[in-house]
Amino acid sequence: MPLAPIEKDVTLDQLNVDPYPIYRRMRATMPVVRVASARRTFLTKAADTRRVKDDPELFSSDDPQTPMQRAFNAHTLMRKDGEEHRRERMAMQKAYTPKVIKTNWAQVYRDITKRYLDRLPRGETVDLFKEICGPVSARILIHILGLEGASDEQMMRWSQNLIDGAGNFGWAPEPFEVTDRANAEMDAHIESCVARHKAEPNDSALSLMVNAEDPIPWSQIVANIKIAIGGGINEPRDAMATIVYGLLTNPDQLEEVRRRDAWDAAFEEGVRWVAPIQASSRLVMADTEIGGYDIPKGDVVMTIQASANRDEDLFEDGENFQVFRPKNLHQAFGSGPHHCAGANIARRTVGEIMMPALFERFPNMTLPDPDAVKWRGFGFRGPINLPVTLN
Amino acid sequence: MVKVTYVACDGTETTVDAEVGASVMQTALENNVDGIVGECGGAMMCATCHCYVDEAWTDRTGVRGDGEDDMLECAAADVTPTSRLSCQIRLTEDLDGLRVHLPEEQV
Repeated sequence: MPLAPIEKDVTLDQLNVDPYPIYRRMRATMPVVRVASARRTFLTKAADTRRVKDDPELFSSDDPQTPMQRAFNAHTLMRKDGEEHRRERMAMQKAYTPKVIKTNWAQVYRDITKRYLDRLPRGETVDLFKEICGPVSARILIHILGLEGASDEQMMRWSQNLIDGAGNFGWAPEPFEVTDRANAEMDAHIESCVARHKAEPNDSALSLMVNAEDPIPWSQIVANIKIAIGGGINEPRDAMATIVYGLLTNPDQLEEVRRRDAWDAAFEEGVRWVAPIQASSRLVMADTEIGGYDIPKGDVVMTIQASANRDEDLFEDGENFQVFRPKNLHQAFGSGPHHCAGANIARRTVGEIMMPALFERFPNMTLPDPDAVKWRGFGFRGPINLPVTLN
Repeated sequence: MVKVTYVACDGTETTVDAEVGASVMQTALENNVDGIVGECGGAMMCATCHCYVDEAWTDRTGVRGDGEDDMLECAAADVTPTSRLSCQIRLTEDLDGLRVHLPEEQV
């Protein structure tokens, strides 16, 4: 079989600004394609992205060439496979379960959301992205992880620093200098929380890990917490901003969501439409074949969830935000062993708590100028501002 | 081919033909049976394919596998002694006629 075709014209900047028309064209004309600027083979069809994620032996997460290890100063579970990955993940998974959220935390999260909404001025135009989406996500994550004492600003900065470092594929020194400083701050703060968790255990991730009968090594406890910081703020933030945008630009759907109390469906559609995590890399462990092309061992394939979520084979009118789809089998949370550990938290906090609270508080909220909203991101994507008028 | 019956929490029954060797989760997805999500694709990482094996069948479906207990703790609905992750039940000729009950919620 031939090797996949090479796409030489698409730039990383184009993918950052608006990848969707590019993915649509790729799905139609070259669904498996080597994108020269990204030095990766893009997989844009849902069946292919799913197959790759579901087969960790052939498509490994353990890729030594990614900058993640350098950014985190650790080999994290995101880049491990098999039993080692499972053990580290299960060490904190209980903190992210629906039952723990429902019984221990739901009221705390409602109160946090209410407190942050209380700060907003009625009748004015504010940047919801900056005022609510980011800070509320950060504050909730502090509780989930057991990092009380950290500020929203620190959490958001650490998260962004880690993401920037892990995405520093050009290996420029500056982003790693930034992550080194952030790592030192995080290490100190995580360490400072341990005594309290030993004295008063709870169901936060850090508490569960330090109080476990057979704990994972301290280095991996710290790495796990950092992964959760890197993956637990921007994604709910971007999901929330995307859903608010989708609903405010489709008032008929918003009305129907309210009538049917269908916030869960609005959540699923938001993350389908613009997946907060758009693409993931996997290292090919043996010569194989995808979509009629030879994929050699050592190649790095990128599953483009963003594209899979709009695949014409699965979704009618996938380019548009349509809450009331008959089926919504999106891959926003991925699939396989690395299926998003925070999926339940995102569904419950953003879908069940934050969205209804926001629209209940400001029932006549509007987006005066949808064109003023800027969307950015290739690996991670969402609006970077959301100027709404609160009423 | 064997038959599997899925009983939704409202009592609605759906019986489908299934391939021997497929999992109860996969079979549900391929036949558009509502009430099983199986978001992680059978990697035992999401607990969205939780089911209660009908008591008449628990001897034949066997015991939970390694790690299944831990993941079941992450299920959204109550876990009972007959709870299984349906991705971990592989169909054999012996399971022809299997009945599983589905929980009220998976996510």
